[in-house]
Amino acid sequence: MTGSRALGVLVLGFTLSAAAEAASSGFVLRDDLQRDVVLPRDPQRIITLVPSLTEIVCALGACGRLVATDEFSNWPAQVKVLPKAGGFEDPQIEQIVSLKPNLVLLSRSQRITERLSEFGVVSFALNTESYADIGHTVRAVGLVLGLSDRAAQLDAAIEQAVLKIGEEARAKHRGDGPTVYIEVDRGPYAAGPASFIGELLARLGARNIVTANLGPFPRLNPEYVVNHNPDVIFISPAEATSLAERPGWETIRAVKEHRLCSFAPEVRDTIVRPGPRVAEGMRAMADCLARAAP
Amino acid sequence: MGEAEEISQPPALSCRDLSVGYGSRIVLEGISLDIRAGFWTAVVGPNGSGKSTLLRTIAGLREPHSGSISLQGRYLSAWPRRERARRLAWLAQTPGATDLTASEVVALGRFAHGGWLAHRQAVDDAAMYRAMVATGSLSWARRRLSTLSGGERQRVHLARVLAVEAPVLLLDEPTTHLDPPHQEDIARLLREQAYGGGVCVVSAIHDLSLALTADRVIVLGQQGLIGHGTVREALDGDWLSAAFQTRVDIVDHDGVHLWRPAVPPARRSEGDQRV
Amino acid sequence: MSVLRPAVSIFGTGRSDAEMPHRLGTWVTCCLAITLLLTCGSLIIGTSSVETSLGWLLSPDAQSSVVLWQIRLPRTVGAWFAGALLGLSGAIAQGVFRNPLAEPYLLGTASGAALGVTLSLIAADASIGALAWTGKLGITGAACVGACAAIALTIGLSRGVLQTASLLLSGIVVAFLLGAVTSLLLLTKPDLWREMQVFLLGSTGFVSWSSATLLAAAFFVCAVPAVLLARGLDALTLGEETAQSLGLSLPMLRLTLLGVVSLGTATAVGQVGIVGFVGLVAPHLVRETLSVNHRQLLIGAALCGGALLQAADLLCRWIVRPAELPVGAVTAFVGGSYLTYLLWRRSRDG
Repeated sequence: MTGSRALGVLVLGFTLSAAAEAASSGFVLRDDLQRDVVLPRDPQRIITLVPSLTEIVCALGACGRLVATDEFSNWPAQVKVLPKAGGFEDPQIEQIVSLKPNLVLLSRSQRITERLSEFGVVSFALNTESYADIGHTVRAVGLVLGLSDRAAQLDAAIEQAVLKIGEEARAKHRGDGPTVYIEVDRGPYAAGPASFIGELLARLGARNIVTANLGPFPRLNPEYVVNHNPDVIFISPAEATSLAERPGWETIRAVKEHRLCSFAPEVRDTIVRPGPRVAEGMRAMADCLARAAP
Repeated sequence: MGEAEEISQPPALSCRDLSVGYGSRIVLEGISLDIRAGFWTAVVGPNGSGKSTLLRTIAGLREPHSGSISLQGRYLSAWPRRERARRLAWLAQTPGATDLTASEVVALGRFAHGGWLAHRQAVDDAAMYRAMVATGSLSWARRRLSTLSGGERQRVHLARVLAVEAPVLLLDEPTTHLDPPHQEDIARLLREQAYGGGVCVVSAIHDLSLALTADRVIVLGQQGLIGHGTVREALDGDWLSAAFQTRVDIVDHDGVHLWRPAVPPARRSEGDQRV
Repeated sequence: MSVLRPAVSIFGTGRSDAEMPHRLGTWVTCCLAITLLLTCGSLIIGTSSVETSLGWLLSPDAQSSVVLWQIRLPRTVGAWFAGALLGLSGAIAQGVFRNPLAEPYLLGTASGAALGVTLSLIAADASIGALAWTGKLGITGAACVGACAAIALTIGLSRGVLQTASLLLSGIVVAFLLGAVTSLLLLTKPDLWREMQVFLLGSTGFVSWSSATLLAAAFFVCAVPAVLLARGLDALTLGEETAQSLGLSLPMLRLTLLGVVSLGTATAVGQVGIVGFVGLVAPHLVRETLSVNHRQLLIGAALCGGALLQAADLLCRWIVRPAELPVGAVTAFVGGSYLTYLLWRRSRDG
């Protein structure tokens, strides 16, 4: 983890120094789409199109600079009143352009960078999918906003909190942790070790019944879950009541003994967004596991 | 069939003041006819005069604009559906394409006698057999209709109509696709049904010479009904010339009435006698 | 009188072709044998290896007996009945509309079911009260209700079942309309997309014994009137006027048959989601291998559809085990390939 983060910092630093002769009005940084973006110094009008980026910007204390977010950003409370510029799949370009932002922060998977540059809007793409991305993104945003020191602090704080929770959780199980099945959607779609929530689970010392070779979100044969008989099931509140009705599932230990973990939507946000509140999410998961595990 | 017998029974088919058409377009109006059993009646007229429409309406397949139709003395609409289907059989001009075998098609003719749940009985088999022998279609009983030629298919459909053993037969162009010898066979068949079986046979036929071998004709023209009666009456009254707007001539050749295109007076040859 | 009697030997025992019963009989036996094979295969194949499964079959322990008898068997049985319902409905639809491209969803059933499921998922997300209510109804109930509503809308739009063309058109309109509404709703809730995909591509994963029983009951309720009225479909091939003149009540025939199609399709969609191509391909498969009248076609298409969906269920579990492909994707692939083959053969034969 630290190695790759160090590498990331090195690359950024290299790029920065290489672009030191850049115009004094801006500087060049390479974003996660491998574009060399000319960024304005100290941007004051920022639009974020991904909730985790919104949370990072606010965690760095630059919430006041936000002029709009995507419609799913809901933390902290003050961003709820900001204008909304569409969802993940359909950001509203007209809305974004009309707000005249200095900078748009978005995910690598959102494909509007070309369109935005046609309108002269600067956009910076960041990868926001895994745990490793958190540190990299925090530092990159810090760099972009001119808040590198705060970013380094935030990064360290997150890392520390996560490690601590992980250690505590692992200490609780004597030996192997509980086997866990995380259901993301009725399908059943499970979260594998390669997914973000799967990574968090691994840090807590629990064992995912899904193996890494199945990918981050495999659609399982329901039989698989019955065969592996997990100790704990992470499930949405809506499905929790009907688990026993699924054929064969009433024999699963977690279902029989009601060892289910469901999270309210606000808590769920902290678990699925790779952002600064990851430690909170992990704390919620750890608490539930401690209660539910045999 | 004596005259006295005929008159005492109600006509097999009759209509009073009938108006028929499509949608808002009226093709024929004010038609009043009596069609008697035991005769073969041909409906003739130029294209668009409403032969098919009239037949369809009388068969109960189209609602008339106004007027009434009676089948064997009772209003057509008063007959229960199955009962009516047993008494009135219809042959369409272009029956749909089908993958059924010939005998399955003929068996459908017996539907009105048995209904949904009935199994085929000896009575049904006998009727089918008779019908297929009469139309000469027995040899391909097991073949699929799609593998038969147009004429062969036509005979199978005729067999279906005959298998109903209905007292009234309405046929729309029954001799389509048939070669002349077979056309004559069908004509003979229809005559047998009429005289021998006492069936009321009505057919729309566009071939004038064939139509004139029937007993009675209903002649339609562009303006409506020109006349209905025996063939003799039609020839005496020059109904056909009127119907076809003097474009046809009927000549008598050895007792057989034939049509030919009307020739201008100067070019008429002496050998033919104008009827 | 005896001269009028020899018909029996020519016409056979109520069938037109003396050889036909044998060919049909062979065909039916084949289908049933394939079904049996697939059922056995379904018992053996799953997330564990084949050897383990065979071992289970011989001496199942408590855990594996659950997997075998509570999961695999009801799944394959349910899949068969769902496929049979779809095959039957497809054959009826093709007969009523006299169109070889007709398929069971042409009355808008699929879109209605999708909308019902979407609304149910959104409601479940929205509030606890709604959750309790939708929990009772379930995805299956919501899909069924949605399907029935769509059919009612289609029939209402076309003002009855009598006009084939307007019924077809209404079905298309309703399908597009409801599909658009569904898409709009999903745009507001993108996290429901994956769950909707599960429904839209079909899933036999959670078919339990109660689902299988429901499907079986629906199948028999649908098959009996359909087979009884099959002769009407034969008559319809001769044209509507001819059928009418034979004494058929066209409104009754269409209403009953379309009612059967609606019930069958709504039930199947409710239990296994939207599985395409089975209803379209099964009747064609029967017609290509056998020439049949409609009674035989309906039975054959049901048997064929059942085996098809069973096979698709087996494949979707086996190809990427222990993960699973959506069963509708497999049927689309298999069905599409078969139709491509038919087209190729037709163009080759000229």
